[in-house]
Amino acid sequence: MRVPLERKVLNENDRIAAGLRERFQRGGVFCLNLISSPGSGKTALLERTLEGFDASRRMAVLTGDIQTDNDARRLARFGFPVRQITTGGACHLDARMVERALEGWRVEELEILFLENVGNLVCPTSYDLGEEARAVLLSVTEGEDKPLKYPATFHHADLMVLNKIDLLPYVPFQAALACENARRVQPEIEILEVSCTSGQGLDGWRAWLEARL
Amino acid sequence: MPLQYGLHEMSIAAAVLDAVRAETRLHGGARATRAGLRIGELSGVEPESLRFCLESLVAGDDLEPLAFDIETRPWTRRCLDCGAEFRVVEYNTACSGCGSAHTEAAGGDEMELSYLELEEPGCASRSNEKS
Ligand SMILES: Nc1nc2c(ncn2[C@@H]2O[C@H](COP(=O)(O)OP(=O)(O)OP(=O)(O)O)[C@@H](O)[C@H]2O)c(=O)[nH]1
Ligand SMILES: [Mg+2]
Ligand SMILES: [Zn+2]
Repeated sequence: MRVPLERKVLNENDRIAAGLRERFQRGGVFCLNLISSPGSGKTALLERTLEGFDASRRMAVLTGDIQTDNDARRLARFGFPVRQITTGGACHLDARMVERALEGWRVEELEILFLENVGNLVCPTSYDLGEEARAVLLSVTEGEDKPLKYPATFHHADLMVLNKIDLLPYVPFQAALACENARRVQPEIEILEVSCTSGQGLDGWRAWLEARL
Repeated sequence: MPLQYGLHEMSIAAAVLDAVRAETRLHGGARATRAGLRIGELSGVEPESLRFCLESLVAGDDLEPLAFDIETRPWTRRCLDCGAEFRVVEYNTACSGCGSAHTEAAGGDEMELSYLELEEPGCASRSNEKS
């Protein structure tokens, strides 16, 4: 006997994510899910972001890694609430991990909640975390073809942050081609070019964030 | 507990088996012999890798024997001018019907359990249907 179904494989994750999204929306919290390969500069971007915000702002970060709390320690220096999620092997954050990590926080009072995903350009894509927007970071040392090699990740992103543009004089990377490739898989994607080292482009990034609040 | 596997398709496969168990419970604990899956080109899941992970997890499990039928779904967009839904080939997101660039995302990120083949109930329940 064949029983037709339309059951999403990750429906349990999606259910929890929907609950989180509703909480964020009710509290007017802008939640951003940051995805990239290991080392593209997710933590560096968050360091520069938190550093630029006045201490009265209500920002918080959850940062995911397979092991270590290095990123949480780097980010805690700025005085905003930060929690490390150590996945112990899992290559992505899922909605349940986020829900657990938020326990005890008055999430509804936040302006922005940043979710730094585990460094991985494939696995985090499938897991909705209840975020309002998704940003993918690509650094100029990774090659222009990454949007075409990892189309699912770029297809589901609202924003691409092209990082490490301070290195453009030293690497054969055509920024225009990388942007064109990103638009081929996601015609609506927004793109910002930044350097977390020199600070170039960070005003545009801050303006992008403020426009979402 | 989230399953802790390095390989992405392994955690997806574990979620598939959870979904199969949940559905068979909803159907009175009937045994599933075959599960149909719909996997989109943009889902980030590699069908052959998923099949390998599913078969590894099922071997020796109480769900064995369970076969999988994986259907790959194409990346599609919908034209906002003529309404056509079309397949995106070579990253060309313009409408294949009227050429309009005014299109929106439609399909390709599916990751669904599309059917279960369940064993027929025993003779006892079947006797009621006799003429
Ligand atoms: N030159 C240059 N280096 C950068 C820039 N941004 C980050 N880096 C360096 O890149 C390395 C990795 O940066 P992280 O911020 O740790 O990257 P990440 O994406 O958080 O890495 P994971 O959390 O491990 O996935 C560090 O050595 C940074 O100093 C940049 O704009 N320019
Ligand atoms: Mg980091
Ligand atoms: Zn058309």
